[in-house]
Amino acid sequence: MSGLADLLSSGIVQTVLIGAAMLGAISGMLGAFAVLRRQSLLGDALSHAALPGVCLGFILAGTRDLGSILLGAFVTGALAALAMMLIVRRTTLKTDAALGIVLSVFFAVGVVLLSWVQGHGGAASAGLASFLFGQAAAILRSDLWIMGGIGLVALALVLALWKEFKLVSFDADFARAQGFPVTLLEVALTVMVALAIVVGLQLVGVVLMVALLIAPAAAARQWTTTLGPMVALSAAFGAASGAAGALVSATTRGLATGPVVVLIATGVVVISLFVAPQRGLLWQALAARRARARISDGRVLTTLQGLANAHRDASYPAERGMLETALGARAPSARIAALERRGLIHPVTHPPETTPHWELTTAGHAEAAALSGKPAGPKDGGAA
Amino acid sequence: MRDDTLHEPGQALHIEDITVSYGANPALWDIDLDIPPGVMCAIVGPNGAGKSTLIKTALGLVRPVAGHVRFLGRPVAQMRGKIGYVPQRHSVDWDFPTTVRDVVEMGLYHQLGWFRRPDAQARTKAQAALAEVGMQDYASRQISQLSGGQQQRVFIARALVQDAPILILDEPLAGVDAATEAVIIALLQRLRNEGRTIIVVHHDLTTVQSYFDWLVMLNVRIIAQGPMAQVYTPENLRAAYGRQLAMIATPTEGRAM
Repeated sequence: MSGLADLLSSGIVQTVLIGAAMLGAISGMLGAFAVLRRQSLLGDALSHAALPGVCLGFILAGTRDLGSILLGAFVTGALAALAMMLIVRRTTLKTDAALGIVLSVFFAVGVVLLSWVQGHGGAASAGLASFLFGQAAAILRSDLWIMGGIGLVALALVLALWKEFKLVSFDADFARAQGFPVTLLEVALTVMVALAIVVGLQLVGVVLMVALLIAPAAAARQWTTTLGPMVALSAAFGAASGAAGALVSATTRGLATGPVVVLIATGVVVISLFVAPQRGLLWQALAARRARARISDGRVLTTLQGLANAHRDASYPAERGMLETALGARAPSARIAALERRGLIHPVTHPPETTPHWELTTAGHAEAAALSGKPAGPKDGGAA
Repeated sequence: MRDDTLHEPGQALHIEDITVSYGANPALWDIDLDIPPGVMCAIVGPNGAGKSTLIKTALGLVRPVAGHVRFLGRPVAQMRGKIGYVPQRHSVDWDFPTTVRDVVEMGLYHQLGWFRRPDAQARTKAQAALAEVGMQDYASRQISQLSGGQQQRVFIARALVQDAPILILDEPLAGVDAATEAVIIALLQRLRNEGRTIIVVHHDLTTVQSYFDWLVMLNVRIIAQGPMAQVYTPENLRAAYGRQLAMIATPTEGRAM
């Protein structure tokens, strides 16, 4: 434990840890709305489109000044969002094609600019390539204040405009018919996503940033049924992935923080997709299996009832082969045993035959009658 | 500058000279339409006739090339919250993480105003609206667990909760079973009898005569409009749908179907 304490007392590790956790929380919170509005990939286009802005910011400022770089990233990201909107509205191209075009064109311009800057910009431009995949160690204490400020603004907006954002995310047409300024609200959400991307560039880089928007939200959706808990849990998943990723990369030599954060976040998604109650794949498979067993048990009961009614004997003992013939399917021993445990059927012997036989108990008759809708047969034999 | 002079206040919905175009072809051409208060009006027409576009334009969701719209004499911007709108059921994602009561309360967001959250009163109103459509026991359900007919009823409850004098519904009977259809029509007729104006985009010509008392036939242009008996004629049907349809939907002389 002293190793961890030593690690946490290091200033750079603290900064990266806090920065990654804040970034995860911000992008988790805003990503929840982006995912619900089916705009997850807009985040990908925005973050790739930030690269030319990073280079332009550097060229215009002449140095690696974070302020102008982030401003440049925000401007080209906004231009990309605008281009997307115009392509979808003015041409016959659909959203996915528009996304692909905008993302690749802006990214290509960014890479061209990057190689040009690196050829002409001297030593100062060396760090620019780190915006591709992020470089957590480059984060400064002062950057944390910017991230915290953006985080607080985003949180305040989401809290103040909660019901408006919810309505716009669920049913924008209805919101517009009610007189809400839907375009303005959608722009607000998109601008906040762009801000989250810009603050994440240093840490995760333009290529992987979208994972921090989508992954926490996708995982949180698995565990929750209403919007409030989903957004809160998404922020928590994001923060935890960020912090865990920072710790892992600080304790292991040669592991870049950004990709580790992304891997942890997607790991949470995979686990959530499998084990979450109600929506998880394992849960659903188990539920389907239980439902199938319940229905086939019901068929066994009604088949026994049919045999009893046909023979006018409520305690008619049915042998397995006979049961399976009447059922038209196999009756596995495990299911028979389960029905015995529930007290619905009862094993009996039927001399001189030596094979096991079963009859319906009183409870079994009641259950079968409820399932088949047919009344129980005559009680002359009397159930066991 | 707010213009308070009323234009055609005697009509629940008054549309004048509306033309809407998507690209090269007009979706609606020079529409003049009046729907008086207190009627239950069906808007019918073939696919692509512009039925949904017409109500979206009336609600201000689609911007017309020309023309104007008035509800009870006022432009739609002054009638926000007084018009209950039920969009097509498939226009939203029913896997959205929310409950039935929450969706119904969305009908009250405009009344609540900015920054205010739904309170106990909103909850009571939402519960009452759900009871009107027979969904009171589903208030806490996830909307993803609803059947198609139940989804439609929740959408109608969301419009009812505003207590609006005018209700506009886009294909409310599409893909619902016969029992739900009967519930919805009985509810709409009761609302009409209370004096509200009900405007419904409808697709089923075999039921339109028995359900509605006012009819608008549309095929990019207005083919005919007015009381059901005057409008539902073989000539108008042929004009709206073309020749082949008239035989399966011939109006029955003097009696409802």
